[in-house]
Amino acid sequence: MAKISELLPRSAIVLNLQSREKFEVIDELVRPLVAAGAITDESEFVSAIVRRENMESTGIGLGVAIPHARTKAVANIVLAFGRSDSGVDFNSLDGKPSHLIFLIAAPEEQKTEYIMTLARLSKLLRKDEVRIGLNKAGSPDDVARVIMQHES
Amino acid sequence: MERILLYVEDTPGMATAATWALRLAKDMSCRVFALSVVNPNAPRRRDKQTSDAEERAWSLLYEIEDDALEKNVRISLLLETGDPLPRLTSLSTSYETELIIASADSRLTCSELVRQSNRPVVFVK
Repeated sequence: MAKISELLPRSAIVLNLQSREKFEVIDELVRPLVAAGAITDESEFVSAIVRRENMESTGIGLGVAIPHARTKAVANIVLAFGRSDSGVDFNSLDGKPSHLIFLIAAPEEQKTEYIMTLARLSKLLRKDEVRIGLNKAGSPDDVARVIMQHES
Repeated sequence: MERILLYVEDTPGMATAATWALRLAKDMSCRVFALSVVNPNAPRRRDKQTSDAEERAWSLLYEIEDDALEKNVRISLLLETGDPLPRLTSLSTSYETELIIASADSRLTCSELVRQSNRPVVFVK
């Protein structure tokens, strides 16, 4: 199974998110994945992710949110990462805004890989040193380095 | 009833308990709080095992989340670290859940959970 760092293209790392509202942030993170050809049908993917966001909170607390969806609009599992200095309200149970946002896009038929990717990323992001590293990262390469360092 | 707490563990009976909880939540239009607690002080558990247990716990939670989405059931995932029984009863109170559902093959002592919880508890077999 691919590592998190291998699923995150440098072009899909946005260190200074411009949007402040969660659906706008999702659009901002989807755009580079569409440009890279990783998402083949933008409107279908966005519909799937909006549906999920309306059903549940993907803010896992600690300033982290992981919006995610599994649809036919995606060829292979891929991630995008965005950082927001001001924070974005993802309805986290701890009531705090999310500053580190990882978006996961997965093909319909790859349920096991999708669940495992979500689990590994969630575990990774509960580590203080990972969140500190991601908050300090000055470039997409720094982001990749932090993730690689802490992936088992 | 508006909120159900589902206690999630890596046991053979968990899938049945989760299915039952989601069906009940759908029928009653409830929101589910799916909670897993990783106990770092479990016997013979070392750092690597705790890390593996955490990953397994997340994967169970996300499996249930995926099923909930298919059934149009609102769900929130919670992963906590600590002693499971006090964490479970304390979070049940703080999230104002009205029912606790656990698998009958839970590693928790059933009588202890019933005694310490101030909410009704259902064990699913």
